[in-house]
Amino acid sequence: MIAAVEFQSVSRHFGAVKAVDQVDLTIAEGSFFAMLGPSGSGKTTCLRLISGFEMPSEGSVRIFGEDMGTVPPNRRHVNTVFQDYALFPHMTVRDNVAYGLMVKGQDRRAREGKAEEMLSLVKLDGFGDRKPSQLSGGQRQRVALARALVNEPRVLLLDEPLGALDLKLREAMQDELKSLQQRLGITFVFVTHDQGEALSMADRVAVFSEGRIAQLGTPEDIYQRPATRFVADFVGSSNVLPPEVTAAVGGPRAWASLRPEAIRVVPQGRLRGTVTGARYLGAGTRIEVTAGALPRTPEYFGHTENGIAVLVPAGHQVPEIGSEVALDWDAGALHVMEGEA
Amino acid sequence: MTGAAHPARGLADLLTGVFWRRPKLLTALLLLPPLLWLGVVYVGSLIALLVQSFYSIDQFTGLVVPEFTLKTYGELLIPSNFDVILRTVAMAAAVTIASVVVAFPVAFYAARHARGRWKAIFYLGIMLPLWSSYLVKVYAWKLILAKEGIVTWAAEGIGAGNLLNAVLAIPVIGGNSLSTSYIGTFLVFLYVWLPYMILPMQASLERVPTSMLEASADLGAGSWRTFRSVILPLALPGVIAGSIFTFSLTLGDYIIPQIVGSSRFFIGQAVYSLQGTAGNIPLAAAFAVVPIAIMLVYLAVARKLGAFDAL
Repeated sequence: MIAAVEFQSVSRHFGAVKAVDQVDLTIAEGSFFAMLGPSGSGKTTCLRLISGFEMPSEGSVRIFGEDMGTVPPNRRHVNTVFQDYALFPHMTVRDNVAYGLMVKGQDRRAREGKAEEMLSLVKLDGFGDRKPSQLSGGQRQRVALARALVNEPRVLLLDEPLGALDLKLREAMQDELKSLQQRLGITFVFVTHDQGEALSMADRVAVFSEGRIAQLGTPEDIYQRPATRFVADFVGSSNVLPPEVTAAVGGPRAWASLRPEAIRVVPQGRLRGTVTGARYLGAGTRIEVTAGALPRTPEYFGHTENGIAVLVPAGHQVPEIGSEVALDWDAGALHVMEGEA
Repeated sequence: MTGAAHPARGLADLLTGVFWRRPKLLTALLLLPPLLWLGVVYVGSLIALLVQSFYSIDQFTGLVVPEFTLKTYGELLIPSNFDVILRTVAMAAAVTIASVVVAFPVAFYAARHARGRWKAIFYLGIMLPLWSSYLVKVYAWKLILAKEGIVTWAAEGIGAGNLLNAVLAIPVIGGNSLSTSYIGTFLVFLYVWLPYMILPMQASLERVPTSMLEASADLGAGSWRTFRSVILPLALPGVIAGSIFTFSLTLGDYIIPQIVGSSRFFIGQAVYSLQGTAGNIPLAAAFAVVPIAIMLVYLAVARKLGAFDAL
């Protein structure tokens, strides 16, 4: 099967800055693909390489097998939902949605009919006559989505589509996007810095770091079996153990990650330490346990030395700060990271 | 106890307290001087002008008859007077349209492409002519456009002398030389008012987010379509603002057509001579009302066409 999108050792340099550095990537047709990474990691540039707003400095970008070379954005069968939605303020919602069809030369009746259909697909029936300024953030997001989908793109690109929405709306839109993608069967490629969003929506996730892909896999791969320290820390802020510590707690002599939620507070266990901090999270309490042999905790606790983060689920007894505890975990929870030498 | 928490301070502190409790008082105080200036000096004189235009002049005594009449406005329709109005409006329209055409590429480049030093050079280039005297510039243009001037010289030098003569031979807008023709007046108007078109245009183009242009391209539009359907409508408020300047400034100017051009009157010159040597204040006032009326109609039409929708 031909891949929807394929990167063959693609680089994009801005002067001396390598925004995208030798990236190889294959996105299968009909998949929901997430590009995850902190700002400046190259994920947005990759998206713009697909939409055509950036040209590769080296390598080639293929869309359904066709080398995009210097094909301009308006000649590519992809559409984008922009981060700021980029709705045209001087047009009604209906004209916004019908814009792509108008450009293609469809007559007014046909394009307005299709626009209304799309608006009802995104649950905005009856909003056609409004101006974008009369809509809420969530509604604008849907208009942007309808405006892209009306063109029946083969690949839909979404640039931080939910970034500007509040938490409740964001979760609702996550479900909606996911079901929309499954119903339409279009390949969705979306960029986000929110690991929760990437894990919950995508079939496959590429984690970007400094212009390269640090790891590419299913959400489970990424979360359970991070390949590098960066991935372990960025996706769900795991405990990163250096080789000597891994060996000290019974593993091989290699970098390993240990998820806070995989660790239990027990009477007798693999490790003893003192509770030095606690943060209530609602669904649980995240405590920091310090033991002489331990490395720094992830960023979560502000890089205190020799600490390990432990998630105590709600309903369990949270040990007091200063008390002595023992920690234990299943042998399989300690994940050795192959990506770290 | 309270003394420690709220120590008594000076008069300034007291005033701050008063203004904080009554914010409208501060607003009123700040607005009073400009409102007095605008209200009394500007609107007052406008009303005086309007009133004068409804008076008439006694043909025999040459005195103003302070009685309401539309006779003076009727005089505007006399062919010799109406020609002045037509000539001025046509010139203002031509200057405005040419300003839009000339200013757009400059404003677009400055707003969307120029960065850092080039932007500074752009601003300097646009503003610099505004710093020198208007009269100096107009006289300079008179010399440039004169029969013995550099334009004629250069045209003959590159063998385009015949072309220049052909242009000057065009009836009505042509003339003896560029500096004594409507073409010359037009060129000087265009030059002098161009910054007033470029600056608002550039400001409105700068406010168009790049993502909007990208969205248009993403939806399949080529550059011409994007220009027509996205850039132009979004820049329209700036174009309208600029055209208000160029149009109204041309309508009211009486110095440029006096120095450069055929000696036929524009509205400003008519007003000047009527209220001066002729002493016909009512007709001068009626003439002066014409540009105001035209601008009001112009704004109403622009509004109706949706020019301000993107504001």
